[in-house]
Amino acid sequence: MSYHIISIAGLLYVLAMPVYIVYVLTKNNKLGYLATATLSAGCLIHIYGFIQRFKEMYAINHSFMRSIPITNLYESLVFFVLCLVIGYLFIEWKYKNRSFGVIVSILVGIIIGLTDLLGISKEVQPLVPALKSNWLLAHVTLSFISYAAFALSFITALLHVIMVSENKKSFKYIFSTSVLSIMVFIFISMIIDIATASNPRSVRIFHSTLGNQSMFISVLSWIFLVALVFIFWKFGDFITKTLKGLKINSDFLEDITYKGIAFGFPIFTIGGLVFGAIWADQAWGRYWGWDPKETWSLITWFVYAFYLHAKFIKGWRGVKTSMIAVSGFLITIFTYLGVNLFLSGLHSYGSM
Amino acid sequence: MADLKKLNEKIWNFFASVDLAVALFIIISIGAAIGTVIPQQSDPEATIRFFSRFMSLNSSMKLYEIVNLFDLNNVYHSWWFTFLLFMFALNLTVCSIDRLPILLKSFKTSPQALLPEVLEKMPLKRELNLSANSKDLAQKLMAVLKDKGFSIFTFAYSDGVQIQCKKWIKTRLAVYLTHLSIFIILVGALIGTFLGLRGSMNIVEGTSSNLAISDDGKAIPLPFEVRCDKFEVEFYENSAMPKAYRSYIKIIENGQPVTIEGKDRFIIEVNEPFAYKGITFYQATYGFQPAEHAEFRFTYFDTSNKEYRISANFEKSFQIPGTSVRASVIDFSPALGMDEQGRFFNMSSEMINPAVLVQFEYNGKKSEQWILAKIPETWQTPFGKLKFDELWGAQFTGLQLRRDPGVPLIYAGSILMCIGLFITLFLRPVSYFVMVRDNKITFYHPSGKGIIMREKEIDKIIQKIQKEA
Repeated sequence: MSYHIISIAGLLYVLAMPVYIVYVLTKNNKLGYLATATLSAGCLIHIYGFIQRFKEMYAINHSFMRSIPITNLYESLVFFVLCLVIGYLFIEWKYKNRSFGVIVSILVGIIIGLTDLLGISKEVQPLVPALKSNWLLAHVTLSFISYAAFALSFITALLHVIMVSENKKSFKYIFSTSVLSIMVFIFISMIIDIATASNPRSVRIFHSTLGNQSMFISVLSWIFLVALVFIFWKFGDFITKTLKGLKINSDFLEDITYKGIAFGFPIFTIGGLVFGAIWADQAWGRYWGWDPKETWSLITWFVYAFYLHAKFIKGWRGVKTSMIAVSGFLITIFTYLGVNLFLSGLHSYGSM
Repeated sequence: MADLKKLNEKIWNFFASVDLAVALFIIISIGAAIGTVIPQQSDPEATIRFFSRFMSLNSSMKLYEIVNLFDLNNVYHSWWFTFLLFMFALNLTVCSIDRLPILLKSFKTSPQALLPEVLEKMPLKRELNLSANSKDLAQKLMAVLKDKGFSIFTFAYSDGVQIQCKKWIKTRLAVYLTHLSIFIILVGALIGTFLGLRGSMNIVEGTSSNLAISDDGKAIPLPFEVRCDKFEVEFYENSAMPKAYRSYIKIIENGQPVTIEGKDRFIIEVNEPFAYKGITFYQATYGFQPAEHAEFRFTYFDTSNKEYRISANFEKSFQIPGTSVRASVIDFSPALGMDEQGRFFNMSSEMINPAVLVQFEYNGKKSEQWILAKIPETWQTPFGKLKFDELWGAQFTGLQLRRDPGVPLIYAGSILMCIGLFITLFLRPVSYFVMVRDNKITFYHPSGKGIIMREKEIDKIIQKIQKEA
């Protein structure tokens, strides 16, 4: 089945993370190639799995336009990861720089972990009537491509804030080191969750750490989380030093952040909002209905519009704009997952 | 007078400011977000029940009062949200009127030579030495730049030439196209709200209606009648997963069915609406609602395999053709299932596996049998093959309908917005300042934005000159 192939790709993505860390610490170019090779191999296997899944879908739906595997939460998460990895590999190739591969592999690992820990179905399902439209392809693929662009800009913006902030007591510095450390914690916790799961079908996120049945382990996990946040806060300048050792300057990070948004924003507008509105118009008879998903997409759109206006008209530079980029992606994540998990609405593909 | 002018200016500047735009982005976002958390347009009781999941009943009721005061249970139609959107449109318009003329003027004014000190302060600088005299060098450079699509202005200096080159300067206009598009979309939405019509109608199979109910509960008479011939849910094979929701409708005008392109029966599905006289119908919902005329439809095959169609009402007996057997439907199940003990039960209210319990009466003896529409083995009865086709007249189709004259504006605005954004973000204006002195060329770029791309482009230009030199 295609999801077995995609699981192998996911494993390679997770394995790329330690290789990237060792590369960043040793600056050994051979290790750098190895890291890229691991990630690329994962990507190729992923593409193969994607094609296999497409074939499985085609066998059911008999329509090219409606067989792209992006029709449920599992498939969308996996597609998002694929876009993210391809986007990152493109940046690596274009700028000959693999300095933030560590964080990309952490983020990718988290998302791949979610497909196992949210208890969602990985089976190929026939299309429900609501999804039987050719707009599916255009609306969903473009939305996720833009999400992936926002994700990359989030990573560079986060590093940018950590790198540029001199004052460790500033909110921006505390906020971004916390976000980074929480990501690392989730990554580690998910690996333990999956590794210790006796029955893969009934695993839940954090079951082995924060939400462990044993009070002792649970408390220990909380202490570990707090300690991790503290360590990242305390030794944030180590990240800065490492990045500088890799010939990364803050202009580079700011530039990639901008590029990610400048690319993602129009794609999001056309794919997410405009195509979404046209599809809603044809399926439900209204182009806009303040459905939670629509509303949060609009909020995401406003945040990135804010970023662009702050940068171009108000002439903001540096940490301030990067903070908008960071919060923009956090809101994007909410639009994507939070709305499905916490709010009810018409975009029920994410329901469990 | 002077004060009034000053005040006017102040107000104008307020509405033209980016600060207002940014503030509106944030406030509208927060307002919209509230609307996704607090239940919208639901009755007070349900809202209070929702709050009481997080707090005591007493504070829930107090919170509801606040919510009600600010229309937080109807955010998107509230006076303050409408006001914010209005401010947004105003800000957009005033800001564009304020800035556009300045931009247009800047296209017309010819560029001026810049002092070397000014150039030195620019964030990007690249220098290279070549063994050729400055006149040749300047010519070559201009040829390369022209080749790359730049428009070029030169200024002679005592010790060399200053070249200013620009490309895609007019793409700056695209921002205003984007602003205009948002304005058009808002106008389209306004037209839709005031001149449009939205409603829904539920029609039971075999009946027709010319009345729709608007979203706020008013009756909307239609200039024609809509008849639902049949509604069906198609399921994937061996699965409870719906494949299609389908209504077969007729439009009846002046007592006559309307024919379009030779057809008088139209199919509405999810994603496949149907439009007539500016009103579009969408498949929205459906439900089980047996009408008096509901009938069970069978096909009977006699011994020579001849087919007979039979329709029967509930508990009304009918004759099996060619025999003296009388039969009647005494029970119905939309989704008949069997539990572990072999007992029948109803799995669902959806017509996943419709079945009827038929009672036969022959020579005063009574017998019963379940006949399942989807299981051919059950069609075989002691009196011949009796296939259960469907229960007709027991479901209603829920159609959403609307007429929205604002939609063309929405589409036009959307297209303009995409064009505007793509030009604004993918075709950024580029300008370089170049000093050519003796055999030295110095490139300057006035902005720090996209510095890596600019450096690369300058490198390419330099490579080209070196190749030719």
